[in-house]
Amino acid sequence: MFEPVFLAQQVLNGLSFGALLFLLASGLTLVFGLMRIVNMAHGAFYMLGGYIGVVIATLTGNLLVAVIASIAAVAITAFLVEVVLLRFVRGQEMPEVLLTIGVSFVIADLCLAFFGGDPQNLPNSVRIPGALMIGDFAYPWYRIFVIGLAIAIGVALALVQTRTRVGAVVRAGVDDREIISAMGINIRWVFTGMFVVGAALAAIGGTIGAGMQSILPGVQNEVLLYALVVIIIGGLGSVAGAAVGSVLIGLIDAFAKAWIPELAYFTIFLPMALVLVFRPTGLFGKAA
Amino acid sequence: MSNRIVETRTVRTFGAPRRDRVQLMNLGLLGALLVVAIVLPYLGVTGFVISLVSTILIAATLAASVNFLAGNGGMVSLGHAGIAAASAYGAGWASREGFDPGMQVVFALGMTLAASLVYGLLSMRTSGIYFLMVTLAVGMLIYGLAFRLSSVTGGENGISGIERPEWMGSYWIYYYVVLAAFVAATAILYVVGNSPFGASLRGIRDSESRMRSLGYSVRSYKLGAFMISGTIAGLAGLLAVWHTHFVSPSSAGVDRSVHLIVMVILGGVGTLLGPLIGAAIVVLVENVLSSHVDRWPTILGLIFILVILFARAGIAGSTRKLFRRLRARRESAVSPPSPPPPGRSDTSVTPENNTAEQHQGKDLQ
Repeated sequence: MFEPVFLAQQVLNGLSFGALLFLLASGLTLVFGLMRIVNMAHGAFYMLGGYIGVVIATLTGNLLVAVIASIAAVAITAFLVEVVLLRFVRGQEMPEVLLTIGVSFVIADLCLAFFGGDPQNLPNSVRIPGALMIGDFAYPWYRIFVIGLAIAIGVALALVQTRTRVGAVVRAGVDDREIISAMGINIRWVFTGMFVVGAALAAIGGTIGAGMQSILPGVQNEVLLYALVVIIIGGLGSVAGAAVGSVLIGLIDAFAKAWIPELAYFTIFLPMALVLVFRPTGLFGKAA
Repeated sequence: MSNRIVETRTVRTFGAPRRDRVQLMNLGLLGALLVVAIVLPYLGVTGFVISLVSTILIAATLAASVNFLAGNGGMVSLGHAGIAAASAYGAGWASREGFDPGMQVVFALGMTLAASLVYGLLSMRTSGIYFLMVTLAVGMLIYGLAFRLSSVTGGENGISGIERPEWMGSYWIYYYVVLAAFVAATAILYVVGNSPFGASLRGIRDSESRMRSLGYSVRSYKLGAFMISGTIAGLAGLLAVWHTHFVSPSSAGVDRSVHLIVMVILGGVGTLLGPLIGAAIVVLVENVLSSHVDRWPTILGLIFILVILFARAGIAGSTRKLFRRLRARRESAVSPPSPPPPGRSDTSVTPENNTAEQHQGKDLQ
C-alpha cells in the first residue's frame, strides 16, 4: 500500500487526471471570470471535441490534426451559441446559464445520433507509445505527455493574461466592463472570443482525454461535475485556483480509487464541502 | 432606477388588488382542471391515459417543489431529482428488506429529510449560480451513491418489485391518491408562499443584504425553504416509486433534474399553474412524441431554448402578461388620458415579471 513504486504510480495517475481536469476547468473558469456565466454546455463541448478528435484521429492517424479539427469544430459551435443565443440574454445571469443547459441537451443528443452509444477511445496508433521505465517503475509516456501539455497550456494562459494586450483587456473587463467599453473596446467581441477560447480548451481536453478515458453518452455530465468541483474549490474565475483544484482533486481521486474504490466517487466531494463551509468563494476566489 | 424597482416590488409583495384577481383567476382555472381530473376515470379513458396523467401529476408535484424555491427564494435547484430519488430508494430498500408499506413511508421520509438537510446545509450560504452548482453537485453525489453502493441500492439494476400499500392497489384509486397529493402539495406551497415566511423569503430573494440588516436570519430562512421544498420533492419520489414499482440510478440523474427546470421554466416560474403545464408538456414529449421521433431530447432542448429566449415568463406567465396587456389597452381606450400601465416600456421592472431569474440578473448589475 505504501511501496514507493505504487505511490509514485498513483501520484502520476493523479497528476495526469489533474492535468485533464485543468484543461477542462480552466476554460470554464475563464468564461466565468469574464462573463459571469457558468457554461453548463462545457461538458458537451468536451464530448463533441472528444468524438470529433477520435473520428479524425482514426481517419488521419495524426493526433495534431485531430486536435486542430476538434478545436475548429467546437470553436465554430461555441461561436454560434454565443452569437445566436447568448447575446440575447447578456447580463441576465440565470437565463444565460439555463440556455447553456439547453445547448448541452441538444449537443449531447445530436452526438448520440451521429456517433452512437458505444464508448470511443483514441486509436492506439496516435497515442505516444511506450512507457517511462525506471527500475521497477513504469509509466506510459502518453500520460506524461498530458501532464506536460496541461502545464504548457497553463503557463501560456498565465503569460497571455499578464503579458499581452489581449490579457490586459480581459483582466480589465473582469473588473469593470463599462470602463473597458468606454475605452473603445468592443466588449461583446471580447466576450465572444473568451467563450470560444473556453470551448477550445474543452475540445483539447476532449481529444486528449479520449486517450485516457472513453467518450460515451453521459460523459458530458460527469466531466462537467468534476470541472465544477474543481472550480468551486479553486474559486470561480481564477486560473491559479483551477490549477490547484485540479491537482488536488486529481490526487485525491487517484488515491481514493486505489485505496477505497467503493467510496472513490465521494471523496472528491469532501474537500468541496469543506471549502464551501469555510470559504464559500473558494481558495482563490474573490468575494462576489 | 433602483428606487422604481423597489416601489413596484413593494406594491406586488403586499398584495395589490390586481394580484388578487390574478390569483383568483388561477384558483378558478385550477378548480376547473380539478373537476376534469376527478371525473377523468369515468370518461371511459384507457388505463394508459390514467397512468400517463398520474405520471404528469407526480412530475408536477416535483416541479412545484422546484418552483417554490425558484419563485419565492430565487434559488434554482439543479438537484431536486436527487431528493426524490433518495426518498424512492428509502421506500425501495424498505420494501426489499421485507418491511410493510407503512415502514416504506417512514424510510422514504427519513431519507428525504436527510438528503434535504445535506443539500440545505451545503447550499444555504450560497445564492444564484453558486446555489445551482452546489445542488447540481449534491444531486450527482446521490446519483453516484445509487450507482456505486450496489449492496444497498442494487447498483445499475436498481430495485424493482416495490409494492404500494394494499388499499391503493388498483390503478384508478392510486390515481386519486396521486391527484390528492398533488392538490395538497400545491395548496401547502401556495399557503407557505403567501405566509409571512414566504414574504420574507421573497425579501431575501430581492435583497439578501437588506433582509440581513433588518435582522432576519437569512440562512435559516433558506434552509427552511429548502426543507419544505425537499419534503414535497420526497413525497413525489415516494409516489413515483409506488407508481412504477421501480427505482434506478437514472431517477437521480442530472438529466432528470434538468427536466424539472425545463418544466418550471416552460410553465412559468413563480406561477401556480406553471409546474402542471410544464410537467404535462415534458411528460407528453417524453412519452408520446418519443414513440414517433427518435431525437426527442433535441426537441425538448430546442423548446427550452426558445422559451428562455422568447417567453421568459413561461406559458402561464406569458398568458397572464398577455391578458394584462389586453386589459391595460382596453382601460386606456375607455379613459384617456390614463397613467401608463406600470412598467410597460421597461420589461425589467414590470411587476408581472416576478421570475426568479430576472431578479438574479439584476443582483449582478
